[in-house]
Amino acid sequence: MALFPKLNRLPREAHETLFVLLVVAWVLMPQVAQLQAWTSALAATLLLWRGYLALSGRALPGRWWLAGLLALTLAATLLTHRTLLGAEAGVALVVVLLALKTLEMRARRDAFVVFFLGFFAVLTQFFHSQSLATAAYMLVAVLGLLTALVRAHMPGSAVPLRAAARTAVRMAALGTPMMALLFVLFPRVAPLWGVADAAPRARSGLSATMSVGSMAELALDESIAFRLRFDGPEPQSGTLYFRGPVLSQFDGRRWLPLDDTAVAQGPDGLQVQGAPLRYELTLEPSTHPWLMVLDATPQAPSTPALQATPTSDLQWRGKADTQNLRRYRAQSYLQYQYGPRQWTPALRNFMALPSGKNPRTLQWAAQMRSEPALASADASALSAHVLARLRNGEYSYTLSPGLYGEDTADAFWFEQKAGFCEHIASAYVVVMRALGVPARVVTGYQGAQRNAIDGYWAVRQSDAHAWAEIWQAGVGWMRVDPTAAVSPWRVGEATRLAPPRSEVVKLFTAVGPGLWTSARAAWEAANNRWNQWVLSYGQGTQMDILKRLGVASPHWEDLAYLLAGVVSALGLLGAAWSAWPQGRRNPWQSLLDRARKRLADSGLRLPPSATPRQMAQAAKARWGEAALPLNQWLAELEYWHYGAADDAARLARLRKKWHKLPWPLKQPRTVQRAKA
Amino acid sequence: MNPVQWLRSRFRLWWQARLRPSDHHHLTQRNVYILPTAPGLLLAATLLVLLLASINFQLNLGYALTFLLAGCSLVGMHIGHGTLRGLHLQLLPPPAHFLDVPSTLTVQLHNPSTQPRYGIGLALQAQGLWSWTEVPAQGSAELKLAWAAPQRGRVRLPLLSAETRFPMGAFRVWTVWQPEATALVYPRPETPAPALPTAQAEAHSGAATALTAMPEGEWDGVRAYRRGDTPRQIVWKKAAQAMAAGTSALVSRDAGAPNKAELWLDYGATGLADKEARLSRLCAWVRTADQGGLNYGLRLPSQQIPPGSGEAHQRLCLEALALC
Repeated sequence: MALFPKLNRLPREAHETLFVLLVVAWVLMPQVAQLQAWTSALAATLLLWRGYLALSGRALPGRWWLAGLLALTLAATLLTHRTLLGAEAGVALVVVLLALKTLEMRARRDAFVVFFLGFFAVLTQFFHSQSLATAAYMLVAVLGLLTALVRAHMPGSAVPLRAAARTAVRMAALGTPMMALLFVLFPRVAPLWGVADAAPRARSGLSATMSVGSMAELALDESIAFRLRFDGPEPQSGTLYFRGPVLSQFDGRRWLPLDDTAVAQGPDGLQVQGAPLRYELTLEPSTHPWLMVLDATPQAPSTPALQATPTSDLQWRGKADTQNLRRYRAQSYLQYQYGPRQWTPALRNFMALPSGKNPRTLQWAAQMRSEPALASADASALSAHVLARLRNGEYSYTLSPGLYGEDTADAFWFEQKAGFCEHIASAYVVVMRALGVPARVVTGYQGAQRNAIDGYWAVRQSDAHAWAEIWQAGVGWMRVDPTAAVSPWRVGEATRLAPPRSEVVKLFTAVGPGLWTSARAAWEAANNRWNQWVLSYGQGTQMDILKRLGVASPHWEDLAYLLAGVVSALGLLGAAWSAWPQGRRNPWQSLLDRARKRLADSGLRLPPSATPRQMAQAAKARWGEAALPLNQWLAELEYWHYGAADDAARLARLRKKWHKLPWPLKQPRTVQRAKA
Repeated sequence: MNPVQWLRSRFRLWWQARLRPSDHHHLTQRNVYILPTAPGLLLAATLLVLLLASINFQLNLGYALTFLLAGCSLVGMHIGHGTLRGLHLQLLPPPAHFLDVPSTLTVQLHNPSTQPRYGIGLALQAQGLWSWTEVPAQGSAELKLAWAAPQRGRVRLPLLSAETRFPMGAFRVWTVWQPEATALVYPRPETPAPALPTAQAEAHSGAATALTAMPEGEWDGVRAYRRGDTPRQIVWKKAAQAMAAGTSALVSRDAGAPNKAELWLDYGATGLADKEARLSRLCAWVRTADQGGLNYGLRLPSQQIPPGSGEAHQRLCLEALALC
């Protein structure tokens, strides 16, 4: 508390400096997570040093000090990053330069450099995150920098910081339409030259291989993998299978995809039935190339930039983008058939088992084969038999099934009798192969949660799932989800094996059971809107807008012309507004003029110098009682002008009343014209 | 002179000739000018770098930041222009003063709008020493500018300039104002000035207060009769002469006039050749004589001020010297 009186006694300059330091600290704070420790420490030390100098009124350090510090910084950057030019090294340099420059704020020019470096530091934070929260935080930073800049341009005034802040907010508020216009219309082009990679924002999510425990890890990850919105009718959550990598090679512990050489181009014999589901899908940044779509999607997801190519596994692949959202439209059919209808030698790939592994499972398979009922059974009959055992054999679905041994299928079928979807699918495929049925594991996401607030369906990393496909002659590949046999509610219901809840969640749940869910839904809806409208806005969206505006084959140059046209039109409007004195005349005069014109229209001509009282008298003389409301209004106008307080509410009331005012005698305009 | 400078000075002269002098300067769209400043260009460069970074790293939020700042700069340009536009400036001309004594021009700034105006600077165009102020909403502020007149006489006030860089410093908004009022500048009093010339017993005719040699041999002042003069004050001898001449004009003894020798400060008797030097010396003498409470007259080539004393008389003399 004792600090505040001291603060008040400081000269204005010190106040300004402290405010700038505060803003700079705010700008640099989120960088700490990404910076090397020495950079953060150095920046913090410099800012504290500058704050101490401002508080104690001491002189700033000399140029040699600064030059030495700068040389030290450059050397340290070179040592840690091996370059001065990469993105990371650049960010480190901007941060230290900004802190260093505060020690050199002598002239106004130095202050400008601080502000502009500050804006640049704000931008560098976007390399790491462009979320809604970051945007809000950085908006505060920008307003702070603007406030400091405005404050520096109020010489000779002792006005509080609040006035500067008000101007800054006003500037930002009035600048927002301009920002929106430029944001929408400024042509988005590819990077102008190659840049060093920024740190990827992507989460790994689903993996290209599957080993024991990989799915269980994802089950704890509540982050969103992608969102989708259906155009027409919305399906049941249980029917949504988003296809990821198809895994066919098994080494006993790990499932791998087939070698690329064995993959033919395009899915084999795909036939779809029923009405398609149309939807738009927004994929979060990902390190993997696959484009998540529902089973089965015969046509490539839209947007040429995706470079979508089909695989023989019914999957779609594109170019991985670790930085940006990818948005595409797709059409899927939940009913389909695909795969070779007749036996082909290639199907042997899906029957191989590692030799010497899972002896008990193999023995069980042989035993089943020898049962007369199953001797000539086809793939689906065999599968039904196995699923019946899963259903009735006291198998359970759990996130922590305990340690599995070498023979993972044996461990699941005969020892632990518990597992997560990957164990179940793996064990199922092993036994199907042992039974002589071509089978494979398919990974992906199953199910989605609909956000009631914006109607988007969110698919989380925790929705990652593994299921199986078996081949049957005459049908092709068929999906079998063995997890559903163990735990029917895993597939189709919203309830999942919940990860342990954090303290925050517990707090929310304690206040109200539904509160956490609805708060999360609202926050995610806001984030989703942010993603849809801001982050995934790009060339494709711009071209769509142009098409909607009637440009047949839009090009980015059209956009530039449109932007130039709109900007020049607005510029002309602005110039006209400035030149037009009417708008800024005082309200009293303009209301009085309006009344005088209206009276003249009604046939009562008065000189421009007429006061409200004179007007009222003339009106009364002319129309008598009929002029009463008008006269009251005029009296009120006079009171407002000469009254004690400048009352804005009263003025607004007067304006409102003006429109409702009954006019005593309004001659029809045609008559007047005829007279003229 | 190099041709660029010559052109520039020609342009300035032409420009100043276009200004209509006025003591009241209303700032409108037509006389408020605006240009970007060096920091403004630096800001533009920063925006360009931000834009390039946004393009190269494909940062949509970077675009948003760049465009927000661009929007702010544009709004700032309008706010800056609006800070001066609509302002009323009123000049209070400086009082008459001696050459080389700095005087102040007082400018009142009146703001009719409902928004306060910050960071307004005023300066003499030629000097560029800015004094800053702010004008509250529907209020006034006053600024004083130091000014030293270049010469004596009735001097035209210098060109004034008002400027603001509010709010971001990216634009300089200014206006140029030629006041109509003039300042009266007396010659510079010579320091140190030689002693006053000695009073001369010289009879001069023609003035209303003539000096007459009285029979007793003492100098006395006489003046025309004024109502209220006592009979003892009337110079009856003169009255008799006047009656004889056919008029009835009475003459009274002037009791107020100090009974001492009168002083003439003569342009031709300063002992100097240069005109300005003579005026300087006369000026110093006028001040000395006034401080001494003497009765003095001033004789200039163009006019002659009969002896007198007091504040008004001194001002009359100094004015004559200033305009000589």
